Amino acid sequence: MFKTESRKKEGLRIIIVGCGKVGATLTEKLSQEGHDITLLDKNPTKLQMLANAYDVMGIVGNGASYNTQMEAGIEDSDLLIAVTDSDELNLLCCTVAKRVGNCAAIARVRTPDYSAESAYLQEKLGLALIINPELEAAREVARVLCLPTALEVNTFAHGQAELIKFKLPPENILIGQTIANLGKEGISQNILICAVERGGEVTIPDGDFRFAEGDFLSFVAARQDARVFLEKIGFATKQVHDTMIIGGGKAAYYLAKQLLNIGISVKIIETNTARCEELSTLLPKAIIINGDGTDEELLKEEGIEYADSFVPLTGIDEENILLTLYAREVSNAKVITKVNRINFKNVISHLDLGSVVYPRYITAEAIIAYVRAKKASLNSNIETLYHMFDSRIEAIEFLVEEPSEITNVPLMNLELKKNLLICCIYRKGRVIIPSGIDSIMVGDTVVVVTTYSGFDEIQDILL
Amino acid sequence: MNNSVIRYILGYILRIEAVLLLFPFLVSIIYRERAGIYYLLTAFVCMALGFLLTLKKPASFVFYLKEGSIATALSWILMSIFAALPFWLSGEIPSFINALFESTSGLTTTGASILSDVETLSYCNLFWRSFTHWIGGMGVLVFLLAIVPLSGGSQINLMRAESPGPSVGKLVPKLRTTARLLYIIYFGMTIIEFCFLLAGGMKIFDALTISFGTAGTGGFGIRNSSIGGYSAYIQWVVAIFMLLFGVNFNAYYLILFRKWRKALGMKEVQTYFLITTAAVAIIFINIVNTASSALEALRHAFFQVSTLITSTGYSTVDFNQWPQTAKTVLILLMFIGACAGSTGGGIKVSRIIILLKTIKKELASYIHPKSIQKIKMDGKPVEHEVLRATNVYFITFMIVFSFSVLAVSFDGKDLVTNFTAVLATINNMGPGLELVGPTQNFGGFSIFSKIILMFDMIAGRLELFPLLILFHPAVWVDLFSNQRKIFSRKIGHKM
Repeated sequence: MFKTESRKKEGLRIIIVGCGKVGATLTEKLSQEGHDITLLDKNPTKLQMLANAYDVMGIVGNGASYNTQMEAGIEDSDLLIAVTDSDELNLLCCTVAKRVGNCAAIARVRTPDYSAESAYLQEKLGLALIINPELEAAREVARVLCLPTALEVNTFAHGQAELIKFKLPPENILIGQTIANLGKEGISQNILICAVERGGEVTIPDGDFRFAEGDFLSFVAARQDARVFLEKIGFATKQVHDTMIIGGGKAAYYLAKQLLNIGISVKIIETNTARCEELSTLLPKAIIINGDGTDEELLKEEGIEYADSFVPLTGIDEENILLTLYAREVSNAKVITKVNRINFKNVISHLDLGSVVYPRYITAEAIIAYVRAKKASLNSNIETLYHMFDSRIEAIEFLVEEPSEITNVPLMNLELKKNLLICCIYRKGRVIIPSGIDSIMVGDTVVVVTTYSGFDEIQDILL
Repeated sequence: MNNSVIRYILGYILRIEAVLLLFPFLVSIIYRERAGIYYLLTAFVCMALGFLLTLKKPASFVFYLKEGSIATALSWILMSIFAALPFWLSGEIPSFINALFESTSGLTTTGASILSDVETLSYCNLFWRSFTHWIGGMGVLVFLLAIVPLSGGSQINLMRAESPGPSVGKLVPKLRTTARLLYIIYFGMTIIEFCFLLAGGMKIFDALTISFGTAGTGGFGIRNSSIGGYSAYIQWVVAIFMLLFGVNFNAYYLILFRKWRKALGMKEVQTYFLITTAAVAIIFINIVNTASSALEALRHAFFQVSTLITSTGYSTVDFNQWPQTAKTVLILLMFIGACAGSTGGGIKVSRIIILLKTIKKELASYIHPKSIQKIKMDGKPVEHEVLRATNVYFITFMIVFSFSVLAVSFDGKDLVTNFTAVLATINNMGPGLELVGPTQNFGGFSIFSKIILMFDMIAGRLELFPLLILFHPAVWVDLFSNQRKIFSRKIGHKM
């Protein structure tokens, strides 16, 4: 018992198989959180690069082989994360790891063939998580397309509560008002503004905060309340009617499928004829165009100027970014950009692209949430975790499973850390935007927004 | 280049040295010696300077191989200078260059001395001489890594510059834990040796200093006869422990975690013991006629082989008087050196293995010109980078070696003396042959030669490149004009 306690403080022993984009992001994030990380990859150069940049150990070899895993110390590891290119290899890595060591395993599985049965695979193979960055990215894009006013939409409490980020346009009625004032006038009923970015600075605002043009606001609310609020302050809240997707990869397939389900018409432009035929079989309701999505004439012919929304999902970031800039130039469409490699993030954020989706961050967030929950004691559990505003703010959803010093105490009587906000409590199907007299009960899920990073359990909110 | 992080590291090193300097001060209190006051003084200066240098935290802790190497080389030079101060101030080594030679020799675990009569030194100075061996053996920057939480992962560049061997790996994912493990093993083995020596009836002071000298594979004795005057039991203990400290510490890590088979299966360790056994056998046959008993001949042969292959430099007999074959074997051992990842010096057994395998591969390519063959070590292919680095290391070693011999030759001493003096310093050995033999010392060299030999010592300890990079013009440009460049660039940007 003592030994496990001390090890929890030191961080978990984690093996990451595959040093691709997701593997590198995970290495960066998890080593920052203080875990012992061993990387496995066949490519020594990639390993060397990561081992130089972060405090991790690299082992060259096939991650699915028994010997390599033994060398990486699978026997006393806590977690294995398989994020190689190949779904099958990832699943095999996890299967071997489960047999050899007594550890949890996470696999990345991207192909639609398996993703439909991911729940089955997860259960039968005893995996802790199956992650699918393309699917997650598609979900995030779909959420924003349902509420095109927003720049980002993240969900908590199984979609019941939403965390919405938007930019204050000129001449909005909020400009010049304080947060306290909003409450008095009844505009901000049942919503809570939890973070503001102004001029590169991110703050968790208090009642005296005064809005200005160009602020990026994030607020939490129940689904319907969020829409009421946005309408009150003069935003449209209708979902888009149609969307144009460039590139017919896995993410495009997942996105199209979801959009078609909620009645948004979809047009996909893809260069590869064979892939077009495949997509047309898979998505009979979608319009599939066989052509070069970066061809200006083709885009015009297909009506980019009149499109409601535009989502470039090619495999090349530069193309996606250029397409976005072009679309913003010629049309009023809502544009969402997918960026795979995140180098030059600062430059990208200066370009004012609007909504940007980073699939590998989404994956990393899910895994970090899992790792933190695993590290924490048992009386609370991290359900979801989002990094907002370039990882400067974390929004964490805790499930409170057991009574502790924070339960059944009115929030105003808790000594909370500074720069922290309890912005939403989800209790028995109801979303509560808490005030000082509310208290946290066992069985609640609680959303906390904070500038601290590394919260493992709900008690961390206390001073 | 990130100059401020180099400054910060240097400051921390000085603070650590300040604390270390307090130990000889304690010794001086026990023996009521006045020389101890100079240790306190030096410690105070180091601490003050260290605080000044670490006052301002660098904006970024990121450093690359370049910064790591430069910080390491400068740390070692700076430490040697401060370690020399007490010798010089106390007046027991009147010339500063001699004091510097002694401290450099101590920290680099060389054990070459300029003193003709060690026994006249005060206890605290004797203690400090041996203690510097212990500090330098595992490396100060490794110690720094073990205790100072430097953020970011790039600290591996510090360890890479200081740790011996063709490729530096970690034992466990976190560098800090690795550094700690290394020091725990180091500390533990020193204590075990200390206990064994005490059990042999040695005085505490002697046992402590000899243990320090063995652990760091240094070789400063506290008697003029080195280990020669002690009992046969003590000579055996010291010889065995010298050999053990020359083993790759990865092996001890594996043993600690009960992976016996893997530890014993390490090719380098096997070869190391094989070479030792062969050398002992040859020398034993060579000298058995001249010794009074076979057992004594075995003991002397084993002790001398052990001391020279690990580059320690203790001695039990004046091997300068030995027959030529035995002397030649000893010289060859000096070149080979200990295992990578140990505290010993020399070219390192693993490099020798790689070099020999490269030759074998080259020969094979004459027979099958199109054949492709990967060089393997412990069942794993050796990466091209490592091969290249090993070959370049060997060539550079030879060049530095030859030029040093040439530079030292201006003193007009005989070739064997010059050759072995350079050999003994660049391999961190200590004694050579003839005028620098085990019963002689380095006091007779000119100041210029001493500087060359000190350079060789640090170059040998840091495995050449971290020190040599200091002479690259780009580094000088970076070190002195970097701040201005960034500043002017910012101004230009604003305009």
